[in-house]
Amino acid sequence: MTTQDLTAVEAGAAGNPAAPAPGARQVWRRLRAQRAAVAGTAVIALLVLVALAAPLLSAIEGQNTTAYHPELVDSASGGVPLGSFGGISGDHWLGVEPGTGRDMFSRLVHGAQISLAVALGATLVQILVGVGTGLAAGLGNRFVDNLLSRVTDVMITMPALVFAIALMAVVPDSFPRPLLLALIIGFVAWGSISKLVRAQVLSLKSLDYVAASRLAGSGTWRIARRELLPSLVAPVITYAALLIPANMVIESGLSFLGIGVKPPTPSWGQMLSSANTWYEADPAYVLLPAAMLFISVLAFTVLADGIRTALDPRAASRLRIGTGRKREEAAS
Amino acid sequence: MRQLSLISRRVAAVAVGLALAGGAAACGPKDSGGAKASTDAKPAKGGTLYVLNNQAQEDFDPARLYTSGGGNVPSLVYRTLTTRTRANGAEGSKVAADLATNTGEPSKDATVWTYHLKDGLKYEDGSPITTADIKYGIERAFAAELSGGAPYLRDWLIGGAAYQGPYKDKNGLASVETPDARTIVFHLNKPEGEFPFLATQTSFAPVPKAKDTGTKYAEHPVSSGPYKVIKNENNGEHLVLERNPNWSEATDDQRKAYPDSIDVQSGLDQAVINQRLSTGTGKDAAAVTTDTNLGPAELAKVNGDKALASRVGTGHFGYTDYIAFNPKVKPFDNPKVRQAIAYAVNRTTVVNAVGGSSLADQATTYLPEQASFGYTPYDPFPAGKTGDPVKAKQVLAEAGYPNGITVSLTHDVTKADEQGPEVATAVQDALKAAGITVKLDGQEHKAFSEKIHNVSTEPGFFLTGWGADWPSGGPFLGPIFDGRQIVKDGSNFNNAQLDDPAVNKEIDEINKLTDLKAAAVRWGALDKKIGEQAVTVPLFHPVYKRLFGKDIKNVVISDWTGVLDISQVSVK
Repeated sequence: MTTQDLTAVEAGAAGNPAAPAPGARQVWRRLRAQRAAVAGTAVIALLVLVALAAPLLSAIEGQNTTAYHPELVDSASGGVPLGSFGGISGDHWLGVEPGTGRDMFSRLVHGAQISLAVALGATLVQILVGVGTGLAAGLGNRFVDNLLSRVTDVMITMPALVFAIALMAVVPDSFPRPLLLALIIGFVAWGSISKLVRAQVLSLKSLDYVAASRLAGSGTWRIARRELLPSLVAPVITYAALLIPANMVIESGLSFLGIGVKPPTPSWGQMLSSANTWYEADPAYVLLPAAMLFISVLAFTVLADGIRTALDPRAASRLRIGTGRKREEAAS
Repeated sequence: MRQLSLISRRVAAVAVGLALAGGAAACGPKDSGGAKASTDAKPAKGGTLYVLNNQAQEDFDPARLYTSGGGNVPSLVYRTLTTRTRANGAEGSKVAADLATNTGEPSKDATVWTYHLKDGLKYEDGSPITTADIKYGIERAFAAELSGGAPYLRDWLIGGAAYQGPYKDKNGLASVETPDARTIVFHLNKPEGEFPFLATQTSFAPVPKAKDTGTKYAEHPVSSGPYKVIKNENNGEHLVLERNPNWSEATDDQRKAYPDSIDVQSGLDQAVINQRLSTGTGKDAAAVTTDTNLGPAELAKVNGDKALASRVGTGHFGYTDYIAFNPKVKPFDNPKVRQAIAYAVNRTTVVNAVGGSSLADQATTYLPEQASFGYTPYDPFPAGKTGDPVKAKQVLAEAGYPNGITVSLTHDVTKADEQGPEVATAVQDALKAAGITVKLDGQEHKAFSEKIHNVSTEPGFFLTGWGADWPSGGPFLGPIFDGRQIVKDGSNFNNAQLDDPAVNKEIDEINKLTDLKAAAVRWGALDKKIGEQAVTVPLFHPVYKRLFGKDIKNVVISDWTGVLDISQVSVK
């Protein structure tokens, strides 16, 4: 995530901290009213389902991710799959990988597991670290604020990919790779979410209801928990929805560079990396993982945009979605 | 010194043969000979030949170059006592006389070798070439500031181990005698029947002492060959060679030297080289590459295009990629475990992992398939084309592992490398069927190389490869299986740490032979004997497939280098 994204988010959902957090049901209604967001949600739901059911789907197809099928490739021609569009057949629904003859369908659906798990895991880490440091900076004294803000600045300025590459290289091989990927992406790219939370906290802190709570004798921790966190939910969720596709891209990037998950574990980025010379001889090999990655990232981005609109009352009313009295009555 | 040399030996073999990622190139047993297409038209003199390469021709100094048979580009500038025969296929794996009148006259026990120079040999400035200059050139190879050459001179010449080079030791090396300007005599510390092969290396090129500029000599070396260096930019990244008017065809029956000038551009991406050669527009029509193979995806394209397929040169360089075991690591101390792996290996998927049957031949012998190596077919643990998991399971049970076993395979993480993850996963998949669970231990390229060549860190089960400095069994079997060549502190290539007195003795015996045919038969027999111990599992020999431009004529690919010989090519 870059600071540009941050600005966009602040201009949107984060723009009006004084607005009360809309109820979950209202948000859902506003989200449902946006066709693109509904489509995005459907695609993501399907993707999650496919990822969860990957072993089952492979079993139904009767293949697995690692078995070699040398009889399905033309060894003399560099191992190009026999048959059209990457060797599509009843046994291999999306064809086979050049050279090895491994089943593409199995590898793609298992690749979805890695992509989603790493992206979601990394986002979770980013939220925990970002919200924690953002709150502490916003509520702490000047020294704490300065220290945390400078650390955050450093994290934002640091090129995440380069930093991740360096970290991946020093961790022993025995550490589980998907977990490592999630942790590393999570811990190098939490800067912008922390900035966002700090800015929100600073503006919320000066509001009357927070002052009232303080006058009533609430401590800092209680204010954070009871008064601030509920108001932070909307911007953080919006931001998290944007972080997921970004993390997905970082994971593919790392796998593309050969430092992501280890072979023979399939990953879209890794497939793209080995496929990049095959675009002429076997276009299917490049198009399939590229399409999966493109569709997933697009779906998450569209959903994030929808969530932002749904959570921002001003944007929602401007778009006249989910505010109609009749519909609201019907819903209640 | 020895360790450094050994490292560069492997690097050189790789550079000559494979150009790492994309490739291997050469001519071989199955389809010996060059490409058929452009050999019909008569070659003629003139024009400029362009060489598009990936790796730079670094350290273009005869003392520092590490070549097999004098190299391709270097051999255009440096003539040596002997050289490789410039002919297609097996004929090209023989030694031919170059500056010398013959390939050498050995003493009875092959410890003293005598050469006489031809008449009328001149440098680019017209001054005569003498044996004193050849002796000086050899002495330069011992100088620490000119490191990089092969270790053989140091190992073989009497006093070689202690000699510091001509800059520090003005007295010179006594074991190289020059009784007159036309005669040179070498005194070796042991019999070496393959000395004529060594005399093809660039350290045997003459260097006039008065023109020696030390480490700067590479920029403007004094040519004895058909071309002189006009430009050498960025340490060999761009070389421009022009015809040397003082070279005479009459004294050189190996080099043809058709083009008037040769432009060698390096540092190009391998995909770019292949793209430019296949399109072949403008200057690229008169271009060749000596270090970039066709990749698997490019091969698929070429095979569907007849015109393009006719512009591919096929060759075989003596190189073997294999699984190595360290029998000091459990469970590989048990020969039955090693045998089980040998039975289980699926060479079809392994060959596919490096680009398929056009880019690699399945190997069951350690020696490459060329006759000059002494190739003797054998297959002590027949796995067929796709592995024999049933037999492997049975042998594993005999070894005491009826329920299977879990082992770790160390490999290079570099993609599309012959020791890379593609080959490792193919081995992993094949062994699974035999109940052997393989965990992949991928190492970064440099770490991998350091780890496997140090006896204290050497893993039990890993991928590696070996290429010969010349096409014979000696430099192939010696460094890998001679017990006296085990190096204790890094740069060890005897991976099995095999120290078998019978093997060592046989190596010494064969080195005494000057009849290379007789020697080849015995190298083959020795290979078979070692193979039965299952200390390695040979996987494949790479095949070189390289494109050349539309205007290229007279393509000659020998079994020695596997690459088209620049000295034979014509562009007119």
